[in-house]
This record gives sequence, C-alpha cells and structure tokens, in this order.
Amino acid sequence: MQTFTDTPQAPTTQPLGVTPAIRIDSLGKRFGPTGPVVLDNITLTVAPGEFLCLLGASGCGKSTLLTIIAGLEHPTEGTVTVTSGSAAVMFQESALFPWLTAGRNVELALKLRGVPRSQRRAQALELLDLVNLADAAQKRPHELSGGMRQRVALARALAQDRKVLLMDEPFAALDAITRDLLHEELERVWRETGRTIIFVTHNVREAARLGQRVVLMSSRPGRIANEWRIDDTGTRRIESPEVSRLAIEITDQLREEIRRNAA
Amino acid sequence: MLPDTKLHSSSAAPRSVGDHDELRRLESGLDALQTVPLTEKGRWRRFLGGVLPPVLLVVALIVAWQFYTVIAQPRPDLAPGPVNVAGSLVEQWNDGRLQQAVLTSLSRGGAGFLIAVAIGTPLGLLLAEWRLLRRALGPLLSGLQVLPSVAWVPAAIIWFGLTDATVYFVVLMGAVPSIANGLVSGIDQVPPQLRKVGTVLGASRIELATLVVLPAALPGYFSGLKQGWAFAWRSLMAAEIIVVGGSIGFGLGTMLQQSRELADLSAVLATILVILAVGILVELTAFAPLERRLLRRRGLAPGARR
Repeated sequence: MQTFTDTPQAPTTQPLGVTPAIRIDSLGKRFGPTGPVVLDNITLTVAPGEFLCLLGASGCGKSTLLTIIAGLEHPTEGTVTVTSGSAAVMFQESALFPWLTAGRNVELALKLRGVPRSQRRAQALELLDLVNLADAAQKRPHELSGGMRQRVALARALAQDRKVLLMDEPFAALDAITRDLLHEELERVWRETGRTIIFVTHNVREAARLGQRVVLMSSRPGRIANEWRIDDTGTRRIESPEVSRLAIEITDQLREEIRRNAA
Repeated sequence: MLPDTKLHSSSAAPRSVGDHDELRRLESGLDALQTVPLTEKGRWRRFLGGVLPPVLLVVALIVAWQFYTVIAQPRPDLAPGPVNVAGSLVEQWNDGRLQQAVLTSLSRGGAGFLIAVAIGTPLGLLLAEWRLLRRALGPLLSGLQVLPSVAWVPAAIIWFGLTDATVYFVVLMGAVPSIANGLVSGIDQVPPQLRKVGTVLGASRIELATLVVLPAALPGYFSGLKQGWAFAWRSLMAAEIIVVGGSIGFGLGTMLQQSRELADLSAVLATILVILAVGILVELTAFAPLERRLLRRRGLAPGARR
C-alpha cells in the first residue's frame, strides 16, 4: 500500500483551475535592517481544504511565517495572499481569557465576529459540542485540563468562521495520550468543516500523522528544504508503519539540515 | 474498516462517523481523569479558619495587657489598662462624640476615595496607553506615591484655609498616585498573548481595551484601589489631627488631638483603636470579599488551587 509519494525539491504544483487558499510568493523576513535573515525566498501555495504541516527545527522561522500569514507581522520582501481575507489562529498556549467561562470565551469570538447576541449562546454550545465539551461550558479555564483548554481554544478559533486555520504547535505542551486524542479530534473537525489548515510543529511523527503534505524548513535562514505529499486514505494512526516509515525519512533529512549549522 | 485489519484488530482507531461515539467516550474518560473537582470550603469552616485566629490573638493580647496592669500597677495616666480604655470608649459613645467622629471621618474618607478613583482611573489609562506621557509623568507620580501626603497640609491650609477642601486635597494627593499606578502596572502585566488573541479575533482598538485589556488588568487595578484606600484613610487622619477649627467638622483625628490636649491617654488609645477598627472593617466588608471573588474566578485565590 503506497501511502505517500516522495517528491524531492518539487515545486508546489496545484491542479489548474483551483484558486489556492493561500499563496506565498518569494517571501523574505528580517527583523530590523541589520538583523539576520529569518525567512528567505519562501514560495508556497496551499489548496483550499488542504491540511499542511510546516515542520522544522527550532529557529527555522516556521512560527514567524505563521504570524506573517496571520497578518500579525509584515514580510520584508514578497507577498502573502490569503484568498478568504483573513485567518483564524491557535497558539501553543490556549490563551483563553481567564475571567470568562469556556462558553463565554467562545461567545466573545462570536461577538467580535458580529454575531447577534441572541444567537451567540446556542452557537457557542454547538461549537463546544463539536470538540465534545458542551458539558464544560460553565467551567472556567483554570478548572479545565490542558487538553480541554486547547479544545476550547480550537472551538474559539472555529467560532471565527474563517476558511483558513493557522495552528502554532498547539499540542506541544500536552502529554502523549492527550495529544494522540487531540490528533483524532482535530482530524475529525477538519474533515467535518473543510477548513484549510497550516499546522506548525517540530514533531516529525505528528506531522506525518496529520498532514496531507509535510513541508520541511531549513534553519538560518528559513527556507523550504523539501516536501512530502501523502495520499489521503483516511485516518492514519501515529503508531502505524506508514507513518513510521515517513517519519524516519523526514527525520533523516531534518538531521541533515541541522548538521549544516554545525560550526 | 480497512481490509488490512490485522494490525488494528485489537484496538482500532475510530475510522468512521459511527466510531465517533467511541472517540467521545474516550475523550470524556480522559477529561474526567484529568480534572479534579474543586472542593470549596463551607462558609462555617471559612469563618472558623479566617476569623477565629485573629480574634483569639486580640483577646489574648487584651488579657495579657489587663494582667500587666493588675500585677505591675503602673500609673493609670501613663499606662491605662483595657478597662480604662473601654471606659473612655463608653464615655465617648454616651455623649455622642464617637458616633459623630466615625461618621464624619468615614463619609469624608469614602467621598475622598471615590473622587480619587474618578481621577486616578482615567489618569492610569492615559499613562498606560500614551508612552510619551508615561515617560514624562510616570517618575513624578511614583515620587508622589512616596511623598507623605501630610507634607501638603501647610500648603493646603494656605491655599484653601481651614475648610473641607484642605482635607480632601491631602486625601487626593495620597490616594490618586496609588490608584493610577496600580492600574498602570495591572495593564503592564496583561500577558501579550491575550492581546494577540484579541487582535486575531478581530477586536478593534476600543474593543481590545474594554473586552480584553481592562478585564485582564483588573487584579492589578484592584490592589491599586486597596492601597489607594489605605493612603486615603491615613492621609485623612493626619490632616484631621493637624487641621483643626474653621469649617472643618469633628472627625476621628480631631477627637484624637483633643484627647491629647487633655492629656487623657485612655481616650487617645480608645480613639486609636477605633481608627484601627474602622480600617479593618472596611477591608473585611468591602475589599476582601470583592478581591476573593475576583481572584477565585480566575483560579488565583489560594483556596481554589488544584
């Protein structure tokens, strides 16, 4: 069973006639005029509904790239186009508002989107139910476990109703059992809602488990080193041989990229 | 299910919509394992734990004091015992001076504090959001916080004469810097992540301030308010002791000063105890419950730790 195809140094080819959800064109970023180049000549197109994992070692600029796509930072060179306008973002820390209940956190996102007050509560409950947390709507963030908080954050990000969802290592701080479950949860939500997802991670297996495409970045400056497309044949388990095989291959190249930084 | 079920037969991952319930149950199970229900102490237990120890200590101190006066027999005009002090209190109560003094001081302190909040809050907001103003005025305000506000009394008497305005001026100079600085530090301590989330969620500048920054800064602002009240109350007492006569009414500070002039030490001690008691009562009835509620809702109160 061939589950993935290796396409070394392949240009990102999209089927003709489909408008990409995100187009990044020869993007560069440096902080300050004399600072080091963080991102160099990044060109990437993401198809609507695609699940893309952005993988790289620390300091490769993957999080910076994400904040640029989110519009929180501006590129030094090149352009980023998010076709649907703007994107929802989820961070490593859930960053829930501690003075609001889980339900109110989601409702606030709805309010800022302009949903009328009368519909907010019902919609918030619906979104919380999507991440299996309808019973926890009245709980405050400090009463929830780390995994539950991230699911509330996911519900809040979905409340923005944007076509694109950017995720910055959202499960990095969770224990392995919880993370494994949230992978399933996220995949299910992705299949149900048809969002375009860019998922930043430094966890190779996580990328191989989740992505339809894995993009590997090199460090200093951050460039796209390679990418792998994975045929979507339904849910893969993180323990499965195909994920392991792909993870080994990606890890080998990741290590190669890291070795280049040795003095 | 996929045909090659050999690998997955024992514990297959949910692969279809039908297995969604399986995932839900798994998730609910993990949630139950990972959350420990908070056990809130009962009202009675809280009362026993929070009120009893200080009350017992006060009773013990009074008993020790009484023992000292009985055993050592010091001169009653230099070291009056608890009984003498209680006698003075009753006397002050009976001729109505005590009630009048407490009422005057408390209403003055309360009004002064509210005015200070009304001035300090917008000032703090301006300082927190307007960098240039902060660089210019920030150090001055911190300096004013250190300057004892009694130092303003002579100037205030010259400006406003022996009127209530003098007292209020001194109270404001004591309380406003604390309140403004409390709000500034509260806003400074708002985690940048929360602002970022607010921006990502599409909040405008005003929405970001009212829906994210201000609620997040509330604990810092609240401790500023508490300190502001303490400074207002202290400044008020100092001003009342120094500024006597004119159209200034009869407050606790005035009562203290009068007792001193009469060399009535037990009346002096009685007044000091009343001033202390009013301070503690305001803290216990107004600030402590609000603060407890505020912090507990955010999981910051000591009783709500997991």
